[in-house]
Amino acid sequence: MSEQSIHTSVPAELAPPGKVGRLSRLMHRSERARGYGLIAPALTFMLCAILLPFAILVVMSFWTATGFDFDTSFSLENYKQALERPIYAALLERSLWMSGIATVAAVVLCYPMAYFVAFHVHRHKMFWIILMTLPFWTSYLLRVFAWKVVLGYEGVINSFLISVGLIEEPLEVLLYSQSAVIITLAHAWAAFAILPMYVSLEKIDRSLLEAATDLGDGPVMRFLRVTLPLSLPGVISASLLIFIPTTGDYITPALLGGPDGAMIGNLIQKMFGPINNWPMGATLSILLMLCISVICVLFILLTLFVRRRIS
Amino acid sequence: MSEESYIHRRNRPLQIYAVIFLILLYVPVLFLPLFSFNDSLYTTFPLTGFTLKWYEELWTRDAMWAALFNSIKVGLFVAAASTFLGIFAAKAITRYRLPGRGPIVGFIMLPLVIPLIIFGVALLVLLSRLGVPLSLYTVSAGHLIVCLPFAIATLIPRFEGFDQAIEEASADLGENGWWTFWRVTLPMVFPGVLASFILTFTVSFDEFIMAFFLTGTQPTLPVYIWGQLRFPQSFPSVLALASIIIAVSFVMVILSLYINRGAQFGGTKGSGHD
Amino acid sequence: MDVLDQLGSMREGKMSRRAFTRSLFASGVAIAAVPMGGRKVLAAPEDQATFFTWGGYDIPELFVPYSEEHGELPNFATFGGSEEALTKMRGGYVVDVSHPCNQALPRWVASDLFQPIDTSRLSNWPDVMPGLVNLPGNDAEGGNVWMAPFDWGQTSITYRTDLFELEGEESWDMLWDERYKGQLGSLASGGDAWWCGAIKAGVDFENIDTPEAFDKIAAVMREQRPLIRTYTDDTTTLEQALASGEMVAAMTWNASATLLKAEGVPVKFAEPKEGALTWVCGVMVHKDAPKLDLAYDVIDSLLSVESGKFMINDYGYGHSNAKSFEQFDSETLASLGLSSNPGEILNAGHFQVPQSQEWETKMNGLFEEIKAGF
Repeated sequence: MSEQSIHTSVPAELAPPGKVGRLSRLMHRSERARGYGLIAPALTFMLCAILLPFAILVVMSFWTATGFDFDTSFSLENYKQALERPIYAALLERSLWMSGIATVAAVVLCYPMAYFVAFHVHRHKMFWIILMTLPFWTSYLLRVFAWKVVLGYEGVINSFLISVGLIEEPLEVLLYSQSAVIITLAHAWAAFAILPMYVSLEKIDRSLLEAATDLGDGPVMRFLRVTLPLSLPGVISASLLIFIPTTGDYITPALLGGPDGAMIGNLIQKMFGPINNWPMGATLSILLMLCISVICVLFILLTLFVRRRIS
Repeated sequence: MSEESYIHRRNRPLQIYAVIFLILLYVPVLFLPLFSFNDSLYTTFPLTGFTLKWYEELWTRDAMWAALFNSIKVGLFVAAASTFLGIFAAKAITRYRLPGRGPIVGFIMLPLVIPLIIFGVALLVLLSRLGVPLSLYTVSAGHLIVCLPFAIATLIPRFEGFDQAIEEASADLGENGWWTFWRVTLPMVFPGVLASFILTFTVSFDEFIMAFFLTGTQPTLPVYIWGQLRFPQSFPSVLALASIIIAVSFVMVILSLYINRGAQFGGTKGSGHD
Repeated sequence: MDVLDQLGSMREGKMSRRAFTRSLFASGVAIAAVPMGGRKVLAAPEDQATFFTWGGYDIPELFVPYSEEHGELPNFATFGGSEEALTKMRGGYVVDVSHPCNQALPRWVASDLFQPIDTSRLSNWPDVMPGLVNLPGNDAEGGNVWMAPFDWGQTSITYRTDLFELEGEESWDMLWDERYKGQLGSLASGGDAWWCGAIKAGVDFENIDTPEAFDKIAAVMREQRPLIRTYTDDTTTLEQALASGEMVAAMTWNASATLLKAEGVPVKFAEPKEGALTWVCGVMVHKDAPKLDLAYDVIDSLLSVESGKFMINDYGYGHSNAKSFEQFDSETLASLGLSSNPGEILNAGHFQVPQSQEWETKMNGLFEEIKAGF
């Protein structure tokens, strides 16, 4: 294909050779500018699409709702409410807990899988990766819904347990509980956990493992001293990629959570729907973002600290 | 590889684990097609009989078809726009030494780690303050935010993976930047472009959380499905529809990953199979 | 799918790379031009009126006359609750026709988003039962109305006759029955549940906006909350749960019981001794309706006898066209919990009284807290 381009003649407009030279020198000097120019459209879009809505969200969180309209004078009333009324803090805490457990479950369960494909699959790696990530690309709504079928009163698990005689009455705790939400979240986001961990495991230099073996480390020590610390970046990104989006989920708790499984996302969604208190919804969104940020920073610092201790 | 010897020794339990893992990963999803062939309004066991009537019923649902076409329109627009922007962004990120590149990339990837409900809500507030009516355009704008990081993430390995010398040769031979780009760079990253197009289309096609807040009169397919979950008569045909969507998504993703397989390992091996 | 076709032919080598880049460039231009080129690329052909309604009313059976005349169905947009709908329209969302209920009527009118309906343009109007038209706040100037009544019915308890052991009369106590803890279901929307709570608490609807009423109803709802398996706006969930025996009783509308009976599930739509919650829903025309003529056709279609037959027979709801009831004998109607005299049903129950927007926000906020366990 390079051949093709070689034979393409230089457009006639650029005739004087001196000018071309100057131009290209200018081009080279302004390489940085060209780079920025190329990334500018995407960056500009993202700046507008992220910063503007967030700015107005922050502004709105200081307004108050009056019937259908907003009182646009500055007020800390929503934040005061959020601190005083127990429901907000409790739902926030519950959301963070449930997402946290789902994240840990997904990461722990997916790690061996990523490890397996990175170290033990030698042929058809691509096939395995596709196989593991495929469900992730199908509709989230439908995957969550599928769990309702599985966990339901006459669902798969209950009918199976009854048919093998382990239980006589269907288990009611399966659906409409926090555990139903946690299981579904962990399952639905598994693919997000596998990929980053796989990538960092795959990158590990195999000679380091050789070296550890030569130094007399057994498989467990080798794993703890070499593989695990080196794959930590993957574990961190996997954790964040699951934890953050799931804290704001409202589909899963709405379909599977029941009264006790509601999360903060449900309340935010309702603030913009039936409760019709947009400023409060904005406040809750901001608080959720703040909590997530703090937790993520702490988590990253902690893992860095642990990593330094190990190595 | 000499370490294969000891690695090979203890992979049996892991293999079993992997198989169980995959079964658990897939089985819940596969119940949807199963029930879509079941001759009852309700998704409960035991199965009552085989039927294709829910699929036949799909043909008569005009509202569903309208929603499907809305989703396709939004998906195509978003896929084209995000891939288009993504190509330039990925080239800039991989080809130029840009001060502040890390923060810029981090910023663009931000939508991957912000709960989508917050984006949906924030955009809704902005649009309503600006007096912009909700429409497929607003859904597209929302989806573009989600899809752009996916496009760039898919394209970067492609740009990293091919020999820059070819581009340089073209430039040395007096090709201008644009010409080099269209004639040399683009064909080489083409599998990545195609993969990005298909993946972003799939992401947009399946996206519900933002669409729920940003849809106007014309629902996208997931929003339509969400509305239909309330109504038992339409429910089995929603299952039928879901099964078709899942099947098509599977095919499209496999296709895109296959096309872009050279870049999957972040490696430099495959680039020339266009 | 032009782009995909081209990509396909590109891969199969049918198209030269140069042609491909040219067309890719062209499509880039086309995409960039979308916002200027108007709605052709992104928006569906909008030749039909848009009906913004509850999910489940977006079906061809209710628009037979309309589609006979125009060859197509109207466009549909659905909502899960009328509060959600009003919020969306206040946010600038324009439709032709929407579908509130009597309780929301004055607030919808006060929003200045709607125009009176010129009843002389509706061929089926003479057959509409006057008792359903004369609702508080429904009279507009010049003898016109704001809302053309369409469907009416009850919110009551659907229970499994084989699983729920009735103690004495049917009553709202059934949904507060400790014996069936975790086997009871409720609609999630305050627009139904809160009012049923008021009936249970013995609060007169005329006083439902007093602080004492709030306290009383909240206490009743908190008492019920631990017994409830799930609150949902999704009637399928309640119906499936009743069908499987997961729930033995649930707060539902008429349609759930009718559908379950048709499926052969032994259920009954209770007539609680305290009275059921009754309502009338109807259609209103947006003040900026882009397809005003078609909007009237949508309404006329909904009011037609064909639609009425379907509503009564398949959903078990009342219809506003008196002639629809002539299609059924009184026995069938009684078995559906209906009567050709809507007053009989509506007055036997508790008819919702419209409330202010502040009340709605306060009630919904409080009810959400209760549902979440606070």
